[in-house]
Amino acid sequence: MLASEREHLQNYLDHLRETLLWKCAGLTGDELRRRAVPPPSMSLLGLVRHLADVERVWFLERVDGQPDEPYWKTAENWDADFDDVDDADAEAAFARYGEAVAAAREVVAGRQLDETYTSTNRRGDTFTYDLRWVHFHMIQEYARHLGHADVLREQVDGTTGA
Amino acid sequence: MNVWRAPEVERPGGANIAPERQAVEELLAYHRATLLWKCGGLTGEQLAQRSCPPSSLSLLGLVRHMADVERGWFRQRLAQEDVPDLWRTAADRNGDFDGVDPARAADDFATLEAEVAAAREVAARHGYDDTFTFRHRNGVEETIDVRCLMLHMIEEYARHNGHADLLREAVDGSTGD
Repeated sequence: MLASEREHLQNYLDHLRETLLWKCAGLTGDELRRRAVPPPSMSLLGLVRHLADVERVWFLERVDGQPDEPYWKTAENWDADFDDVDDADAEAAFARYGEAVAAAREVVAGRQLDETYTSTNRRGDTFTYDLRWVHFHMIQEYARHLGHADVLREQVDGTTGA
Repeated sequence: MNVWRAPEVERPGGANIAPERQAVEELLAYHRATLLWKCGGLTGEQLAQRSCPPSSLSLLGLVRHMADVERGWFRQRLAQEDVPDLWRTAADRNGDFDGVDPARAADDFATLEAEVAAAREVAARHGYDDTFTFRHRNGVEETIDVRCLMLHMIEEYARHNGHADLLREAVDGSTGD
């Protein structure tokens, strides 16, 4: 594949987004909710919920300046995306994930990789970064969590593959 | 005699705003270091443990696999050096993952370090628009640029570091990203 830096980054991120869904394909809600490996809070559905919120935080809130309204996290439980899956609606979470990705793609369209943003994290640290860095961060975030998904899926039904 | 343990490593930081090449190389350096960081302080026995059954993965298997991955991409494919795979053979394509031996852990770590150093040397000779052609195992030829290779390496390390997260936690409860 020969492409510009920007195309590379977007294609890579899209490939990883699709890989997440591929890792979940064909499983029932119960299978998606199953907490298969240590740490016991982790499940494929938890990963989908977590990555939906990661898309929201980075592209909608931090890049586009939309209000910070977490999908599942609460002030009391910042890990609710991972933790509160036992009664979670898998179909609704996948729909929310799809919406977040679509919105993230819209936010990025027309922006330059050198565009910069400043955010303050929960610890109160302020940091400035550019859209290139956001893409790299998302690529590594997805790839790392897909490593978790590999192990989870194999434990659920034996399916492997990258 | 002291039992060998994987070295504790410090991971390098990186700039939040940087030109492409610097951003890519800092991130790859970070993920290369993260694999070693995930292994830090463990014995050969712990590193060879297949701690997330039914997966056959182990931390030592990941270290061996990445040494073969570094060699395959940078020396064999990009630099076209005539060097064999380290552990994978035609008969056993998973020799890197499957041939783990706790007694050889220190050697395996040294091998990865050497392959990373060699890979850095090869990468330093190329611009990101440089292209190279290689043949997949199914015979199909593909031409890619060095930019694509570097992104692939970041993804490959990050994904395996996701495996390492769960393997390490299952070995001794340690977590952290």
